[in-house]
Amino acid sequence: MTPLHGHTGPVAVHAGPGLAEQLTAAAAVLATVAYLWAAARLRRRGDAWPRARDAWFACGGAALAWAAVGGLPGGPFTAHMTQHLVVGMAAPLLFVLARPFTLALRVLPPGPARRRLLALLHSGPAGLLLLPPATALLDVGGLWVLYRTDLFATTQRETLPHVLVHVHVLAAGMLFTLAVCRLEPVRRPWGLALRGGTLLAAGGAHAVLAKSLYAAPPPGTAYALADLRTGAQLMYYGGDLVEVALAVTLAVQWYTATGRARARALRRERSARIRAVA
Amino acid sequence: MSRQVPSPATRREPPRPRASTAVCAVVGAAVMAAVDEIVFHQILAWHHFYDRSTPRIGLLSDGLLHTAELLALVAGFFLLADLRRRGALARPYAWSGFFLGLGGFQLFDGIVDHKVLRVHQIRYGVDTAPYDWAWNLGGLLLLLVGAGLALRARRLDHRLDRHPDGGADGGADRRGGGA
Repeated sequence: MTPLHGHTGPVAVHAGPGLAEQLTAAAAVLATVAYLWAAARLRRRGDAWPRARDAWFACGGAALAWAAVGGLPGGPFTAHMTQHLVVGMAAPLLFVLARPFTLALRVLPPGPARRRLLALLHSGPAGLLLLPPATALLDVGGLWVLYRTDLFATTQRETLPHVLVHVHVLAAGMLFTLAVCRLEPVRRPWGLALRGGTLLAAGGAHAVLAKSLYAAPPPGTAYALADLRTGAQLMYYGGDLVEVALAVTLAVQWYTATGRARARALRRERSARIRAVA
Repeated sequence: MSRQVPSPATRREPPRPRASTAVCAVVGAAVMAAVDEIVFHQILAWHHFYDRSTPRIGLLSDGLLHTAELLALVAGFFLLADLRRRGALARPYAWSGFFLGLGGFQLFDGIVDHKVLRVHQIRYGVDTAPYDWAWNLGGLLLLLVGAGLALRARRLDHRLDRHPDGGADGGADRRGGGA
């Protein structure tokens, strides 16, 4: 066990996980229970809802809870980076693949609650927040601000900025993943080129930031060199892993859409020929 | 045109040599980039994750190149799957494209990244000349293999045109690919 210094997060300063961490873990577990209950209800009334989505959401909830209260491996910076990867990238991807908004829309009875959720998803501000380049700027731009200004050192000293930054990382990660994957009924269904281009730009910016952390720590912090480098490499290769998963999601969408379009065109052609013969 | 209407699943499209070459060139370039990263960065650790002498633009280009390689690998494999599904994959052209991509990337990396931008060198603390020669000649060799396969693919097409019984129709569509 490495001795804990003052410049590690509240997680390490106090003996156990703090209140915010415990609340996060509880929220993750509650959300998972709610999701599984909703999916079960849908199936009981005879609707199809793939089991894989239940698994995605449960894994996302478990990962988020682990990142909040579990013991994370490695030195202080590596542990922080593990937490950051799970909260900002892995958990959002797992949640988005489970399509929670689609599930909510299907399980809610027609009425004000359902109408309000749909209005929210289709609202102007939501459309602006889910513009792919805007989400990338919020997500990766936020990371540049976090690691290249004094903000990171501040979050290591004070609780409120620490909590706010983690809320931002989770929210921005969710928005980015939602916008790039486009699996939910949202206001503007952006095309493949914009979403793929955004993924490329965001992935590039993430990789450059990870490399710069390998060379120089965030201002105002002093981590052991080995810890800093392991953390930076974790960010680099962990980012790759999630990026490839996002790219595969986009590619599968394109592949099935092209297949459907082709089948449709062939059907049309065939019925035209049958009509010509008759 | 045949009387019988084929079902959508079995209906084949004419081969697309140009698309087959291009898609496999993308896969080849991405595979070579991945090999570079895995063998030289991670297993041998000859050149590093971040080389301190790097200018800013080199770092940026490297980050974009790295991300582009991953996305290209995924996109290339799905485009290849699509060509196969349509029955439009022209195999001889596909192989030539794959080698053209492998060699093209290696030569680009060897000349632009190593020498022009000087993002990193193959090895440090030794005379880099033999490594540079081996790397660039290796790339050139792969590129030449790709060019040879492209010529062979076109010769095969011409033969099919002269003896159309041997292959599918639509010979005109098969020509014009390759370098």
